[in-house]
Amino acid sequence: MPLTLERPDGVDAAIAALLSAPDAVPIAGGTDLLLDLEAGRVRSEHLVSLAGLPWARVERTGEGWSIGSTAPLRRVERSEGLAADHPGFVEAVRSVGSAALRHRATLGGNLGRASPASDLLPILLALDADVTLVGPAGPRRAKLDELLRGSRDLALGRGELIEGVALPPRAPSAYAWQRVRPANDISQVGVAIARPPGADRWAVALGGVLPRPCRVPAAEEALTAPTPSEEEVRRAARIASTAARFASDRRATAEYRRRLVDVLLRRALARASGGARP
Amino acid sequence: MTRPDAAGKLRGAVTFGTDLERPGMLWGALVPSPAAAGRLRAVDLGPARRTPGVVAAIGAEELRQLLPSALGRERPLFPVEEVAYRGQPVAAVAASTRAAARAAARAARVTIEERRPVADVEDRYPEWPGPGAASDPGVIAHVRAGHGNVASAFARATLVHSETYRTSGVCQVALEPHACVAEVSDGVWRVTSSTQTPFGVRDDTAEILGLPAETIVVDGTWVGGGFGGKGAAFLEPYALALARASGRPVELALSYREEFRLGRSTLAAVIRLDTAVIDRTIVGRRVRLLLDTGSSLPGRDFATGYSIGFLVGPYRCGAVEVEGFGVRTNKPPFGPHRAPFAPQCVFALESHLDGLARRLGVDPLEFRLAHVWREGDETFLGQKVGPFGGERALRAAAERARAWRPSVAEGHGLGAALGFWSTGTGAGGEVRLRLDGRALRLEQVEREIGSGSVIAGLTAVAARATGLPARLVRLVASDTATAPVDSGVFGSRTVAALGRAIVQANEKLLATLARRAGGGPVRLEEGADGIDVVGPAGRRPVAELLTPEERDGGGLVAEGRHYGNAPPIDPSRVEDGTFYPYTDFTASVDLAEVEVDPETGSVRVVRAAAFQDVGAVISEPLVRAQVEGGFVMGLGEALTEETLWSPDATLLNPSLLDYRIPTLLDVPPLEITLLEGAPGAGPFGAKGVGEPPILAVPAAVANAVADATGRRVRDLPLTPERVSRALIRP
Repeated sequence: MPLTLERPDGVDAAIAALLSAPDAVPIAGGTDLLLDLEAGRVRSEHLVSLAGLPWARVERTGEGWSIGSTAPLRRVERSEGLAADHPGFVEAVRSVGSAALRHRATLGGNLGRASPASDLLPILLALDADVTLVGPAGPRRAKLDELLRGSRDLALGRGELIEGVALPPRAPSAYAWQRVRPANDISQVGVAIARPPGADRWAVALGGVLPRPCRVPAAEEALTAPTPSEEEVRRAARIASTAARFASDRRATAEYRRRLVDVLLRRALARASGGARP
Repeated sequence: MTRPDAAGKLRGAVTFGTDLERPGMLWGALVPSPAAAGRLRAVDLGPARRTPGVVAAIGAEELRQLLPSALGRERPLFPVEEVAYRGQPVAAVAASTRAAARAAARAARVTIEERRPVADVEDRYPEWPGPGAASDPGVIAHVRAGHGNVASAFARATLVHSETYRTSGVCQVALEPHACVAEVSDGVWRVTSSTQTPFGVRDDTAEILGLPAETIVVDGTWVGGGFGGKGAAFLEPYALALARASGRPVELALSYREEFRLGRSTLAAVIRLDTAVIDRTIVGRRVRLLLDTGSSLPGRDFATGYSIGFLVGPYRCGAVEVEGFGVRTNKPPFGPHRAPFAPQCVFALESHLDGLARRLGVDPLEFRLAHVWREGDETFLGQKVGPFGGERALRAAAERARAWRPSVAEGHGLGAALGFWSTGTGAGGEVRLRLDGRALRLEQVEREIGSGSVIAGLTAVAARATGLPARLVRLVASDTATAPVDSGVFGSRTVAALGRAIVQANEKLLATLARRAGGGPVRLEEGADGIDVVGPAGRRPVAELLTPEERDGGGLVAEGRHYGNAPPIDPSRVEDGTFYPYTDFTASVDLAEVEVDPETGSVRVVRAAAFQDVGAVISEPLVRAQVEGGFVMGLGEALTEETLWSPDATLLNPSLLDYRIPTLLDVPPLEITLLEGAPGAGPFGAKGVGEPPILAVPAAVANAVADATGRRVRDLPLTPERVSRALIRP
């Protein structure tokens, strides 16, 4: 299959390139897309590289943090001050693949490919992150939870690109995951928690569940205290482990996933809230 | 030591199978069976032929005209009636590009009247096979042997320990996929292949294509890892048939997914062990093995008749009865993997003994020491045990375990296990030494597969045998038409068997030189101007002792051969099947400390020690590299590696993402102790070390998990989910 790779040097040119062919797809690090292209799960002969776009920045802004979509994850996790402000987000970034892979993989790619097992989607859902987008009709801003329609399905318009993600200034947070092999593997389950400024409860989001990573409002209701009691943590863990839809597949049984949610939520809360670990 | 191949490999300058090119070369691709079982109705190659770039497309129909001998009853190149596994090649195509060949293979229409496949040995035998099962069509191999009165031993026992273990399939995961280039001209069928066994491929290919072996010439290339997966003909007969059909050279190489789907790998097994004990002494053992052999078992009883001995182990255990079935399933043929199926057997036996010792209230290492073979003991098949490092390795491990124990943290555990192996010199071979005034040429057929056994090991043996510096030894590998015959690079036998052949050839060389020098003994030395012969008559350049023909031609030639020596087994103890005697007795002990997450079941090996019985060290860096590599591979078998099959016999994880070999982050600090002094079958008393270091790793890790948690996991590998299930078991 012949492939063309275009490398536009500006946002408008990138959007134009995406609109120029019906099968055009954007490529950043390519760590996920290339596998799907090779396996025929994605069919495209026109790749549009985002390497020339000015979106590889990670910076503090007036409203919090702005993480550019084409910044390699390795740069994100090493950004000064980010781990102190968003410990859970950096834990999640560090859990992706391996250090070598994170030199190529990007935040925008992880979002855009919207894998059901993504390690970044749960923490971004828990942080209630805004995604900034640019398309033929100009820029817009949307909540990740609204954009994420399903497995491998992010509601982007034709020719629309992810510019970056906006995070609050800081939020206590944690991300706990489980895999058969710690590095270069897919998480069987990921549990993210965060308490963004002004929130009246802990946000809980799960990865490795069907059909896509999701928040668990019923569990969150049990977690209004900044430092939840043992009993509250147990109740939330119990609710979370029964609330979502779990599948049995080659990576784990539904039963094990359920057990993991319980364990990992307790651990994440213990880490983030400084509370007791039941 | 610098590996002579290191610089070229680091620069990317060496040629592996997938790098081969020939002028006018085509690319081949295989047409896979879309079903795991059923009757082959039709193979329509029309759409494949119409694909742009296609030069040849062949199935059984075309072979009937082109090469009818390739449709023999035993091993037809393409199935004629029944397909045996999903992905089985039912046809092949050759085209001008690899992409065109693949597109054509996809375009072929294969019609199969599908049947429900047998995906698992327990589908076929949910219960232990009854009397007469040995002649079931689903049984590929059956072995049964023993000695002593087992019934009486179990009747007298004060304790009987009975367990069932299950092990998963494992793939070799060589970095380089299978690849070869075939050319057919002037009646010579020539194939250059990334193989561990050029002569084995020649003979196998001859049998499959129905051609005389001497019309087939196999040449090797640098091999990017074999681990047993490149030990028999696989792609070569297809590539040759395509070269014959197209009249052009044809390269055939697998993608990595195909490597998983079609490669011959080790498959799953169910192992039942019963041990009878009186007080603290083992008096009887019953072993029952159901081994998944896929659609066929190359080497017939090897996987059952050889491996089953590892379920008795290097121990005195009184009366013994073993029975094993190789069971046919609709998977690709069973294939060997570094110490074929032995780490799985050692896992079962050493877990079993560990649990038994704990039940008896005896320290597990002391329990093993009380039963381990000493030289002069007898195997259950009546073979005398030779020099064996088992006791020393166990004592060294026990000492290390005592030193580690005080620092083993809460939630951690220590475990040890003993594996046993025999250097495969029963697979014999030959070499040719050619001495001129300047260098010693070592001529043989094998290519380097990555361990260093050929390029550095054979050279080291030749240097040590002759007394010459290694840089004067020139290793020359050539094809099966010109090189002396050899069995292959497998079975931990390369340095051992070919090394013995080198030693013998050197003795002949020196005998000739001694005669010509006017009497011996003589030896070779580097002189001022080339190689000298030094003896009672003084020092003379080799060149002066050569005949004119030798001087003008290829030098003085001596051939050496070694065809293994093993004391016989007692045939009266064998009831059915083939069993193999041991050429020597090699011990490998591992000690591991693990940390177990009590809630998720994750296991992390935090430190380990390997105690390897090596007989004699020929090259310490190479030996240590084998121990390290074997340990890491064993770690994968212990914790993460397994092939997962659906109920319709589809491989669910044909990728490096879901077939998980260890990463560097998973590898703990490893202390390596090499134990010399119990000589083996190789030159200078060396024992083969390619396979032994993997043997005991899964068992040591499993025993450490049992030590940490008090729970025994009887399924391999010990994935977090399996461990977690054992932890919550009531």
